[in-house]
Amino acid sequence: MATDPGLERVQRWMQTCILNQGTAEEAITSEPAQAAVPADQARELVLPSKTLAPLERLDIYREMYLLRMEEALATDYPALKHFLGDDEFMRLVARFVGVYPSRSYTLNRLGDHLPEFVATLDDLPKQEFCHDLARLEFALTMVFDEAETAPLSPEAVRAVPQEAWETARLKPIAAFRLLEFNYPVSQYLGGVDEENPYPRLARKKTWVVAYRRNFQVHRLDLSAPAYALLQALSSANTVGDAIIGVLTSKWRPAVKQSQLFEWFRDWMAEGLFQAVELADATKTPPPPEQPENEVDEAGEESFPASDPPAWNTTVAHDHK
Amino acid sequence: MANRWGYPDLGFGIGLRSVHFEHILKNNPTIDWFEVLSENYMDTGGRPLHVLDQVAERYPVVLHGVSLSVGSTDPVNFDYLKKLKNLAKRVNARWVSDHLCWCGVTGLNTHDLLPMPYTTEALRHTVERVRIIQDFIERPIALENASTYLEFAASTWPESEFLATIAEEADCGILLDVNNVYVSSFNHGFDPQEYINRIPRDRVVQMHLAGHTNKGTHILDTHSDYVIDTVWKLYRYAHRRLGGVATLLEWDANIPEFDVVHGEALKARTFREQEDRSAQAPELNEVPAYGD
Repeated sequence: MATDPGLERVQRWMQTCILNQGTAEEAITSEPAQAAVPADQARELVLPSKTLAPLERLDIYREMYLLRMEEALATDYPALKHFLGDDEFMRLVARFVGVYPSRSYTLNRLGDHLPEFVATLDDLPKQEFCHDLARLEFALTMVFDEAETAPLSPEAVRAVPQEAWETARLKPIAAFRLLEFNYPVSQYLGGVDEENPYPRLARKKTWVVAYRRNFQVHRLDLSAPAYALLQALSSANTVGDAIIGVLTSKWRPAVKQSQLFEWFRDWMAEGLFQAVELADATKTPPPPEQPENEVDEAGEESFPASDPPAWNTTVAHDHK
Repeated sequence: MANRWGYPDLGFGIGLRSVHFEHILKNNPTIDWFEVLSENYMDTGGRPLHVLDQVAERYPVVLHGVSLSVGSTDPVNFDYLKKLKNLAKRVNARWVSDHLCWCGVTGLNTHDLLPMPYTTEALRHTVERVRIIQDFIERPIALENASTYLEFAASTWPESEFLATIAEEADCGILLDVNNVYVSSFNHGFDPQEYINRIPRDRVVQMHLAGHTNKGTHILDTHSDYVIDTVWKLYRYAHRRLGGVATLLEWDANIPEFDVVHGEALKARTFREQEDRSAQAPELNEVPAYGD
């Protein structure tokens, strides 16, 4: 009668051997594997084929495991792999899955902890840059998978009474991530994705908003004051407070009110917000009755420059 | 409709893959149906689901999973099943399938289709889990024979009998992967035709075809190439033995253009028609056995 440790122990043994990154012999003699099936018994567990010994057959599964993990992480972190190179990236993958093996039914979430893991690896080449790059690529995967939320329409924006903007609050779409970096990682990603020139990999503060529009993931490089304004707007501050925050900050000399309006209009056009909540109401007001939406040449609704939110009044009041 | 649930012969489909999204939405290609990898659409609200919704409006869709882990000794994952059930309802899935395998234990997932020891204990365990799963999702599932690369000494059942018995006792369907029969027959040295002979005709709701990679000492089920002639012959044999059922061509690595993949799927139609016209029973020795 062949050896049969029982289904539960066989499965625990095989999984332990697959996750073990040593040789097959090291795997079956490891403490966790032997806790499931003692090594002597394990040697009898798998039949040989005409061409392969039992441990060689086990190795097929062991080798495919790491390749599968690498493929999944390379899909989510292509620029990090590009920077590190194939061998260093594979080393990173092996170390990562040793600490964070998949616990999900989908590989889409395998890399969720990679940025924080990279932050712990002091021996990784240009570790801080890699950490920033991993954070950016992780944000892009989150934006890719987020729930779809309809962006504010031009009509909904127009329906907000001019005097209501000062105390209104904007709610970003779900597929929205605002990021601050110490390295020009968005520019680096542009080099990988679009064959743009690569930046110097020296420390440099950069700011990015990642978002999804028409089911396509986009990222927009921001200036420091634009980042500050967008962060304030997306953090449930009133529009008035967000603007005053920027106009009373160190960027005051460089930022004009007209610049703020241009940003605001661009962000609305990019669909970064899903709702505007008014101080005396809790949701977006219904759009005014209009026969048709304005449609530009690309077939997309446009935000006219002729009716900006009235925040001149807001700026004139110094709430601070 | 040879199967007991009356699931239709959907014809000849291919797996829905993101590299073909644009082509499909733009060209509305004439194709019988699509098979969808369930897990790729469960946790996303992004483009894949948006595309799937449109595809499901235009074509019949079948859900095919890789993480059901029916043979695992871990508790059944009802969170996963809830999402699977919701997705099946959302896309009006004609049926739901996964593999006779386990993917992980102790809360982990290796994301592989790991082999079962074909023991009576494993059989009883799997039957019970399939029943639980079917009760929860309120529909029968079809279990696919996975390609395997090792055999356990403790096995007391031939794989085909193990699969057939689970299907009978749990009252579930079978997705017969003809390429996997060939791959495993090569790796383990069994007769692929005998394997097919043991599969109950009224349980088979679908067949799979795919290319593989022959490493010399063993074959890997890579879905990365055209179907080899021997597998086509085995498909003809399976068709004669089991009747016409929905057939799906899998191509998951080095994926060529849509028309190439679809063209490979349509070869199955040609082979089936040839087989239907043929008065003669196929020569058993047409299908090379182990190691050929």
